[in-house]
Amino acid sequence: MGKKQNIRNFCIIAHIDHGKSTLADRLMERTGQVSERDMEEQLLDSMDIERERGITIKLTPVRMFYKAKDGVEYVFNLIDTPGHVDFTYEVSRSLAACEGAILIVDASQGVEAQTLANVYLALENDLEILPVINKIDLPSAQPEVVKQEIEEVIGLDASNAPLISAKEGLNIDDVLEAIVSTFPAPECDDTAPLKALIFDSYYDNYKGVILFVRVKDGTVKAGDKIKTFRSDKVYEVVETGVFAPGLSPKNGLFAGEVGYVAASIKSIQDVAVGDTLINADNPANEPLPGYKKVQSVVFCGIYPLDGSKFNDLKDAILKLQLNDASLIFEPDSSVALGFGFRCGFLGLLHMEIIQERIEREFGLEIITTAPSVSYKVLKTDGEEIFVDNPSHLPPVSEIEHMEEPIVKADIYSPPDYLGQIMDLCREKRGTFLQMTYLDKSRVRLEYHLPLNEIIFDFFDAIKSRTRGYASFDYELIGYETSKLVKLDIMLNGEVCDALSMIVHEDSAYTRGRTLCENLKEAIPRQLFEVPVQAAIGGKIIARETVKAVRKDVLAKCYGGDITRKKKLLEKQKEGKKRMRQVGNVEVPSEVFMQILKTNKD
Amino acid sequence: MAGIYVHIPFCKSKCRYCDFASFPDKLCFAESYMACVYREMAMRKEELKGYTFDTLYIGGGTPSVIDENYIAMLVAAARKNFNIAKDAEITIEMNPGTVSAKKIETYLKCGINRFSVGLQTAVDSQLAELGRIHNLKEFLLCTKLLKGRNFSVDVMIGLKNQTIADIEKTIETAAYSGANHISMYALSPEDGTPIYSDYLNGELPDNDQVAEMYSAGVKKLKELGFDRYEVSNFAKKGFESRHNLNYWRRGDYIGFGVAASSCINNIRFTNTFDLDEYFKCILSNHLAVKDREEVDLAWQEEEFIMLALRTSRGLNLKEYAKLFNKNFTEVYAAAIQKVGTYIEVNGDFLKIKDEFLFIQNSIIVEFLRTE
Repeated sequence: MGKKQNIRNFCIIAHIDHGKSTLADRLMERTGQVSERDMEEQLLDSMDIERERGITIKLTPVRMFYKAKDGVEYVFNLIDTPGHVDFTYEVSRSLAACEGAILIVDASQGVEAQTLANVYLALENDLEILPVINKIDLPSAQPEVVKQEIEEVIGLDASNAPLISAKEGLNIDDVLEAIVSTFPAPECDDTAPLKALIFDSYYDNYKGVILFVRVKDGTVKAGDKIKTFRSDKVYEVVETGVFAPGLSPKNGLFAGEVGYVAASIKSIQDVAVGDTLINADNPANEPLPGYKKVQSVVFCGIYPLDGSKFNDLKDAILKLQLNDASLIFEPDSSVALGFGFRCGFLGLLHMEIIQERIEREFGLEIITTAPSVSYKVLKTDGEEIFVDNPSHLPPVSEIEHMEEPIVKADIYSPPDYLGQIMDLCREKRGTFLQMTYLDKSRVRLEYHLPLNEIIFDFFDAIKSRTRGYASFDYELIGYETSKLVKLDIMLNGEVCDALSMIVHEDSAYTRGRTLCENLKEAIPRQLFEVPVQAAIGGKIIARETVKAVRKDVLAKCYGGDITRKKKLLEKQKEGKKRMRQVGNVEVPSEVFMQILKTNKD
Repeated sequence: MAGIYVHIPFCKSKCRYCDFASFPDKLCFAESYMACVYREMAMRKEELKGYTFDTLYIGGGTPSVIDENYIAMLVAAARKNFNIAKDAEITIEMNPGTVSAKKIETYLKCGINRFSVGLQTAVDSQLAELGRIHNLKEFLLCTKLLKGRNFSVDVMIGLKNQTIADIEKTIETAAYSGANHISMYALSPEDGTPIYSDYLNGELPDNDQVAEMYSAGVKKLKELGFDRYEVSNFAKKGFESRHNLNYWRRGDYIGFGVAASSCINNIRFTNTFDLDEYFKCILSNHLAVKDREEVDLAWQEEEFIMLALRTSRGLNLKEYAKLFNKNFTEVYAAAIQKVGTYIEVNGDFLKIKDEFLFIQNSIIVEFLRTE
């Protein structure tokens, strides 16, 4: 075992908005990786959605050269990490590819839930952590208080933490020097059999799947026969390279380096992120630790708004999946919505992002059904099944009992909002675990919450009840028996399958009534009166009525108006295209989504 | 059937709901304007040689606001340039606030045989609210001058603070004044008009209330002997407006003046809405056509359906078969099935049932094609 003395592999972890991407940009700028002139704001976030939302979804590594004060030129490999709980697995993969992590803490906001979650992940991966206090240019900055908080809450020595403003480019050199002095050089062995961690991948139309790897031991170069530890398929390496940023071919990757490997791999499904890349002719006998199979947590149906666009939707989802192995889907059909897909996601944000990408990158309008979780159903015949689609739930008579997924939630908030948070958690069937005062101004609340209660509007609710001060993080911990029922919505006496949902018995009545009220507002008046009913197992629990339309006429229609009136009618007709037929009731496609989102508070 | 429409874009003042082409401040240009209209007619003379016109409609604006002699000259110009049928229906719109015995005498003398009087409501406070320049008394004086003549009265529903009793009173006023035709329109607050802010402020009756008003109005009109022949038009037997029927039966019509529309030989076109531009065009011997579109066979069919279903008689199945060479009930079997509850077939006619005429759009759209 030796050390690559002049390589530093690290990542940056931070809460959303604490300035991760901005610092990354500054580091690149300072090391001359990108000239100031070419600098596009937040270079690493390459997707539009990432830039707009200020979040990182895809990992984007970059290699930099830094000539330190000791006169040595160092190679820095920065691996960007997604900042959201949904992408914890990605984060842990990229952490595993590093020796160090820069922890950015906002000088005015202090430590947040996600920061902490990621710090724990980094510590689990034995990373050296370098705290950096950002945004010291803000008038509300309290660097000393934040330093103390870091020491008390995380237990890190923050006395030498660089105080910077990434936005203003202040004290960036301190960070660069601290990277050299704080983070260890990678320990590795060039002569051992190849072992490289695959920490991300994406599909390139020309080169096939591009694997992002951290070589732990050995070397990999073009012409090598490679395979992954968990698959038997053998590929021949076509190209290796580094991130400059962007793919930059380099002949061979050596132990300690971060780079990419292209080997004409056809499908992203063939090579799992987290798996270990080995040499097929000289295979290592142990994989690198930490591989997990990713599991979908949230499910929903995705249908084309215009029923005839099913094939376009299929293409879009297939293309997205090329770059996102965690997106799973299967064809699905609904009486109300026609043909579509049932998709599984890592979490709510992941779901939203996929929906947005379909609409934006493929120009498709889609309808999504209510997000659902995967329920465990124990049938009377002893069979155990998982159901994430309410319409696949077996009849009540065949169900012995049902279990729902439970998460452990950490909520960080100023103490002023404790009451509101506890109320919310109680409404959401939460079980209080404990409360810890981190300092005078911050409290950590721990709860067990059913996942199906937080997939609707928990994020929004907690933000609005705490004026945005609280932060929230969760992890799945298992299943618990629960009194769950299937809530059906009937329009003019016919069940609308796309609106069915599985809910807890206690909230079924309220949910049903709210749904009926919302639907009454959202469904346009028809030629006849439409009863809107919520039912559980055939028993009506709520009812509203959409009154029949009484005036729908273009009063005047003279010579000059004919063209205009014709256009108005055409428009009305056009609008009908966006309608879905439920029995003889016409329901605008948008209703299916609006309804599920506006879960009145 | 063919008709002529002439637009007189002048008014004393603009009503608060008006979004037609009318220019109260340009009344001083009336003479030049009319000269242009006469010239525009002359310019169309050759083109329309083969047509016989059964109706001439002078609308606005307020045609009665300008010197009555210009109107007489207008009718004369129409006769000079075109074949006007002997029994042609010649209508002029009038505002009760701009009428005099002398005017009516001139109108009659030049051949005008039908009058359309804008009453809107018999409640003075509501007239003021609409920005009308007349009151109930002036309407009564006006109709006194028209006694024994063939005239129509416009009334409006859906006004601010309007009650069903107000509507009944308005209809009675119109009927007792001697009208043999009544048009009852629902106020349509258009964006850009002053009344639109009333709408935005929720001061106007909602659609359900307007529907109530409409039903009450239809009932009252029926009691008084006015049969509905189109969703907004009611007449005593034999006094239906031939000019309007021509629109709904897709007859040809030619429009003169600013903003006037035409449909000749399945080409629809509209003159410019800009008065200056209209002057410029005509004075330089050019037509002032702005928008022009050819109505292809598919569009003709849609128009035919949409317009026919507005009328109480409904769609003439035989005429449809003749025009489009197919069988309506076969082509639209699916739509007929879907809205079967709301339509009925009476001999050769397929119509929207009387009670559903006021929600006709939702029914008509089922008969329109989707692309």
